[in-house]
Amino acid sequence: MRHRMAVALLALVGLLVSTYLLLYKLGLLGQIICVGSGGCERVQLSPWSVLFGVPVAAYGVAGYLVLLALALSGLQGERLASPGPTRWLAGLSGLGVLFSAYLLVIELTAIHAVCLWCSVSGVVILAIFLVSAGALARASRLPPAP
Amino acid sequence: MAKAGRSLKPFYVALGVVAVAGAALIVWAAGARAPAPIVMASCSGPPLGGVEPRGVSIGPDSAPVQITEYADFECPACAQFTVLTMPDVLRRLIPTGKLRWTFMDFPLQQHANSPLAHVVAACAAAQGQFWPMEYAMYDHQNDWYALDNPQGKLFGYAQGLGLDMDSLRVCVTQRRPWPRIEANRCTGERLGLEGTPTFFVNGHALGYIPAYDDLVRIVDSVSALAARPAAAPARR
Repeated sequence: MRHRMAVALLALVGLLVSTYLLLYKLGLLGQIICVGSGGCERVQLSPWSVLFGVPVAAYGVAGYLVLLALALSGLQGERLASPGPTRWLAGLSGLGVLFSAYLLVIELTAIHAVCLWCSVSGVVILAIFLVSAGALARASRLPPAP
Repeated sequence: MAKAGRSLKPFYVALGVVAVAGAALIVWAAGARAPAPIVMASCSGPPLGGVEPRGVSIGPDSAPVQITEYADFECPACAQFTVLTMPDVLRRLIPTGKLRWTFMDFPLQQHANSPLAHVVAACAAAQGQFWPMEYAMYDHQNDWYALDNPQGKLFGYAQGLGLDMDSLRVCVTQRRPWPRIEANRCTGERLGLEGTPTFFVNGHALGYIPAYDDLVRIVDSVSALAARPAAAPARR
């Protein structure tokens, strides 16, 4: 139960970060707060900030919303005891970690700038994956219910 | 179930606090980063900072036809002219050597985002990229003119053109070209401009927005006149 609470909180943080980046990408913020000399701006204005015509930040918003919904639904009633939601959380966040790693490689090799908020999102998704995968590993070591 | 619901209450409260605090931070960040608005000065006094007016020009200094365009980046008619006509002017008329084209800033008071757009364009001009930047901003005018702060959008066009973004950011943040933009605008005001775009051909107001064919006729006729030898004095 605790791991799903932790995932829900982390997903909410990720959702807020992605929303901030998406609002900037849509031109609704004007400027972006970033440590360093404009790495966030450079990354967000680059062609790699859009994938299949959709801002990359929008994928983040959608992904974190799904994770948040999964984690919250996993806290309800009979699903609390089911390992299903945790498996989904681990699987989806694993994909998110791979996507974040891909974005980091693009930042370092093609854009030559690092976006602080994208890195925060990367840490958040990695944390969600570790928490979920850890919970799955612990559950697999438990003796089966009589 | 009821017991589980009670035990989850502190968690939901914590979730709500994080959501509200995060949303408040985003709203604060949006407001805190809004740049101070650019205020237009009165044109009745001396030039701002003693800066003389100077537009962005293309074409030889010695060209027989000198066209000056006063324009505002939020003006729809200026956008239409730039998108439809300027590419041909730059590609076909300027290389003839007969025409020198000068863009003069004339941001209008009622256009809130226009001053920033003029600053960004002038900073792009400092990197030799005024004309592509002008086209990009006019071509996407509908995407930025109504925003609270269009800087992100405008910077996006600049980055797409390959401008040095660090230099551009410093130039725009410090509003470096603003005194010259004001000087250009005040020159237009002193000329009695009533709208944009307004064109002057060798100093004479054109009175309409020319199509490309009109410009070809103007350039051909004015350059032909300039090429004609001075008439000999009449004999008695």
